[in-house]
Amino acid sequence: MIQMFHVTKAFPGDPPALVDVNLTVEKGEFVFLTGPSGAGKTTLLRLVFCAEPATRGQILVGGRNVARIRQASIPFLRRNIGVVFQDFKLLPHRTVLDNVALSLDVLGVPRPEARQRANRMLKLVGLQHKTESLPLKLSGGEQQRVVIARALVNEPALLLADEPTGNLDPALSQEIMSLLQDANVRGTTVIVATHDLPMVERSGKRVVRLDRGRIVSDAGGPTVVRRVG
Amino acid sequence: MSAVAKAQTFWRSAMEGIRHQPFVHAVSTITLAIALFTLGLARSAAHELDRLVGSLGGEVRVTVYLDPRVPPAARTAVADGLRRRGMVVEEVSPRAALDRLVRELGPAAESLRGLSEDPLPPSLEVRVPESMRAPTSLRGLAAELRGTPAVTGVDYGEQAVERLSAIARAVRWAGWVAFVVLVGATLIIVSATLQLAIYARREEVEIQKLVGATDRFVQAPFLLEGALQGIAGAALAIAGLIAFRQTLSPQLATLLSFLRLPGAGTDARPWMDALQLALAGAGLGLAGSYLAVHRFLRA
Repeated sequence: MIQMFHVTKAFPGDPPALVDVNLTVEKGEFVFLTGPSGAGKTTLLRLVFCAEPATRGQILVGGRNVARIRQASIPFLRRNIGVVFQDFKLLPHRTVLDNVALSLDVLGVPRPEARQRANRMLKLVGLQHKTESLPLKLSGGEQQRVVIARALVNEPALLLADEPTGNLDPALSQEIMSLLQDANVRGTTVIVATHDLPMVERSGKRVVRLDRGRIVSDAGGPTVVRRVG
Repeated sequence: MSAVAKAQTFWRSAMEGIRHQPFVHAVSTITLAIALFTLGLARSAAHELDRLVGSLGGEVRVTVYLDPRVPPAARTAVADGLRRRGMVVEEVSPRAALDRLVRELGPAAESLRGLSEDPLPPSLEVRVPESMRAPTSLRGLAAELRGTPAVTGVDYGEQAVERLSAIARAVRWAGWVAFVVLVGATLIIVSATLQLAIYARREEVEIQKLVGATDRFVQAPFLLEGALQGIAGAALAIAGLIAFRQTLSPQLATLLSFLRLPGAGTDARPWMDALQLALAGAGLGLAGSYLAVHRFLRA
């Protein structure tokens, strides 16, 4: 699903955010990215959904080389990638239902169908009773669930989540992780950047650890240990 | 189906944008209304000037002096030739020409009374159709007539015609320059104002792009807002122009009565003018919002 070859990302005036990263994520995998703040987790995710270009190296997403992708093609790549942000990025003046349906609106899905699918997804994340609420009226956990519903409503092949439990208490964090795991069970490849080491350890999933822009360990599942890039 | 769904989404988004930023949109609409009102007034003024210039052109007469020695039949042949080409021709005999001169000179015509015979030649006074009033056409007609054996001279007030034509040309050019300046200034103001609206919704644009919206998807609601503002501005401008016509125009007509001509101030196609103004408004709004959103997306 994702292949990164010798990827480096540098911002002018700062030390490189990523240095010579090699990483492969198979279709249907669930991967945690961990590491201290500034390790390069968010930058890695941003490179995958083309929010930033790589300084060096090649990135293949679903077989497409995003380093060479035309600006006009980026939206079409993003339609296959659901993104969950730590700061939610919800439209404050639109209802929960409209926020979730936004991913379908950009695809030109007819409104009744978009609302029906958004309703179904909100039911899946347990927010069927909040469809007409505005995001600012919801708790942090509820807002995060709306973001997950928006990211998953068009059934993307890949889900990227940047600190999805960063602002939440342990019980809510567990709830959010369950939603992500459910998506993974349904076939979506999931990559989660997180600081929450106890939760990562409990999950038994593959863990890629970054430090100062380099992958320092890549251990997956109960027994498999992958190469360090 | 997908296009209809997108159109509905754009419409909802545009309405939401207007609802959440009424002040910015009101400023744009009023700017457009002022520009369109000015354009409407300028257009009416240009229309009146054209009418004035055209009517003065109608006063241009070509006087063809004929050789008194040629038989009357030859003179009549010249007049008939001109009539066949759509011109109104009046034959003026030497006596009639003298009588007219005496009338025009008044007391100063005393010296003409002692003349034993008519000193003036017979002539034709020709009113040319509108299509031939251009200086080049008149010049060509005069040259052609001068080459006729029965004609001894042609006078059509060459200098006056040239000057009138130059004035009309200058007025039209000035109108175009003013139009371009006004449209340019309006576009700059409208696009700067709309950029404020877009900037206030930058987060929404960012989120739309993160979930896979194309630039066109992002642009469309803003373009729709621009077009709607243009139409609203045009409606205000049309209302202003109607009010102007009903209140100030009669007073101006009285003040400038020496320039008023039959039929002046009446508009034969008010609905067509209103439609054109609405289209111009929509076009200006679209262009202004396109500039604003294009600049924003490229930034």
